[in-house]
Amino acid sequence: MNGEPNPDGRTEQTGVTDAEIVLGVSAAFSGPSRGLGIELYRGANAYFEHVNRAGGIRGRRVVLKTYDDGYQPNPAVTNTMTLVQQDQVFALFGYVGTPTVTRVLPMLKKFQGKNAYLFFPFTGAQPQREPPYGDFAFNLRASYRQETAGLVDNFVSIGNKRIAVFYQADAYGRSGWAGVRLAMSRHGLQIVGEATYRRGARFSGSMRRQVEILQQSNPSAVICIGSYAACAAFLRDAVDLGLEVPIANLSFVGSENLLKLITEGREDSRSYTNLLVNSQVVPSYEDTSIPAVKQYREMMDRYDPQPPSHVLKEDYTSFSYSFVSLEGFLNAKLMVEILRRLGHQPDRDKLEDAVFTIRNFDIGIDERVSFGPDRRQGLQQVYYTVVESGRFVTLKSWEDRFAS
Amino acid sequence: MKIQKLFQKTLVGIFFLFAVISLSTSALCIYTVDTHLSAEYESNSRGIAKTISDSSVDILLNRDLSALQSLIDQFIEIQGISYIYITSEHGEFLAHTFVPGIPTEIARSDHSSRATVERSLPGMGDFVEVSSPILAGVAGAVHIGMDTGLIALKIQRAVGQQVYLISSIFIIGVFSAIWLVRLAAKPIDSVIAYAARLARERNKDSSDDKLLARDDEVGQLARLFLHFSTVMDFDKARGTPPGENA
Repeated sequence: MNGEPNPDGRTEQTGVTDAEIVLGVSAAFSGPSRGLGIELYRGANAYFEHVNRAGGIRGRRVVLKTYDDGYQPNPAVTNTMTLVQQDQVFALFGYVGTPTVTRVLPMLKKFQGKNAYLFFPFTGAQPQREPPYGDFAFNLRASYRQETAGLVDNFVSIGNKRIAVFYQADAYGRSGWAGVRLAMSRHGLQIVGEATYRRGARFSGSMRRQVEILQQSNPSAVICIGSYAACAAFLRDAVDLGLEVPIANLSFVGSENLLKLITEGREDSRSYTNLLVNSQVVPSYEDTSIPAVKQYREMMDRYDPQPPSHVLKEDYTSFSYSFVSLEGFLNAKLMVEILRRLGHQPDRDKLEDAVFTIRNFDIGIDERVSFGPDRRQGLQQVYYTVVESGRFVTLKSWEDRFAS
Repeated sequence: MKIQKLFQKTLVGIFFLFAVISLSTSALCIYTVDTHLSAEYESNSRGIAKTISDSSVDILLNRDLSALQSLIDQFIEIQGISYIYITSEHGEFLAHTFVPGIPTEIARSDHSSRATVERSLPGMGDFVEVSSPILAGVAGAVHIGMDTGLIALKIQRAVGQQVYLISSIFIIGVFSAIWLVRLAAKPIDSVIAYAARLARERNKDSSDDKLLARDDEVGQLARLFLHFSTVMDFDKARGTPPGENA
């Protein structure tokens, strides 16, 4: 690892040439959750494009090597193997989903001699935040435990103590379910009802059976841990069947995609969104008083990042702004800072040390970022949003909005 | 005419024989496949349940339940395994694979039992459920349901293949029987024709060299007919009752 250039212009460092630093991405670019992978990629690419046009990182462009896993574990594992062994990327970046990432983590442990780290996956699950795999990933976003605890605490505070859970029947759903269960136990409560759906469910599918199961438990609030297509279908069927209680979603849901599905083709969609509340792990992209949000909006407008065409299999209409692309943008911003701190010869062996130098780093939002050997998650804050005038805005008062 | 009747009886005989073979072998097949497959599935399920329970200890004690869910999701892909659920020592469901929800019958059942349970779940089918304790049961148990419908399907396939084989052999047997009976009937027809000719043309030379030259039962029968005919002619000429000087 001496950094000497070889005949094809590559230095000895894996994933780094004199011209490029290559990051590997495996995410959902196809299937019913493709909106998450695409928006996360677009947000990150807006910032990388900005950095690359300004000369890159010490002359090296940041390049994303992208593969589609369709939000399925087995392709994610195969893609990771290809990225690490064949493409020899510098680091893994911007993966999407718990069932995919939890399956990839053991592979990172297997490759620990190569220091193949995963940066800022789009999941709040615990496995990449705690032993035995926490050492191989760095997270920026708050965890599902923090999101679900926030939702439960707020619901309980306004008297909605009968909380039911609708979740995806996999590691993601279980992670959220476990978060709700833990938060409820702190209040001496239990989950009153639960219903599940299979990963990959589409909006056109029915969730009536799930609604009926939850109705039997007479809940005063429902927390959904799912993807936007399934959660939108659940919300639609819940309202249609008269389950008129607050329905909450986690940040992973992809709020704009959910809103688009539930409101598309409806003249008056307020009945479907009145009781909707989504937790977020980034501030509202509508709040331009936040420097990073202002910068994000400018760069999204200026560069208009496109989805990776070589992995795109279905049509997709991008959003101008979204919580997911803002998260991608912040991920890229922090990644660039870490790469800068690696100096003139980026070396994977020094990557972890470079991350640990991030202390009270101002990423441009109302929370500073810190990492350390015992702190592998940069941000802790959870935000809550509701729909007003057809868009998500910050929730001002739980009491006013949901108290019955 | 008599030969045709004889053939019909043979055909009916063959049919009944094949029916008996078909029914008895099918019954044996059903019993054997059902017994062996059920035992094998149960044994495999127990092995998988034990693997999961052994792997679950560390996860339950040290890690998030999503890791436990991820573990059971890998095993649910195995053919024949329909559902997996893990309960705590207090009977609480910690991870499961049920969609859209935990069936009422399972939710209300006693999860401390380690015996094999047969379940019929409305809308899902029939299952055999095996269990394996986690940490000798103090940390809960893993429960695996295997679909008995799959065994029935395999039995159906095995019996279907067997019936197909026996039917093929039956059809070949019938055609073979027709051919063989016809082959056997042809010389008998010749003897009957010869006997009829002898009776009809007693004064003429009715010898049939080919038939009389045969060294099988048909030739012997033809020669016997000729002998009786000659004896009868001789007795008639002497005025003695036929056969008295034979």
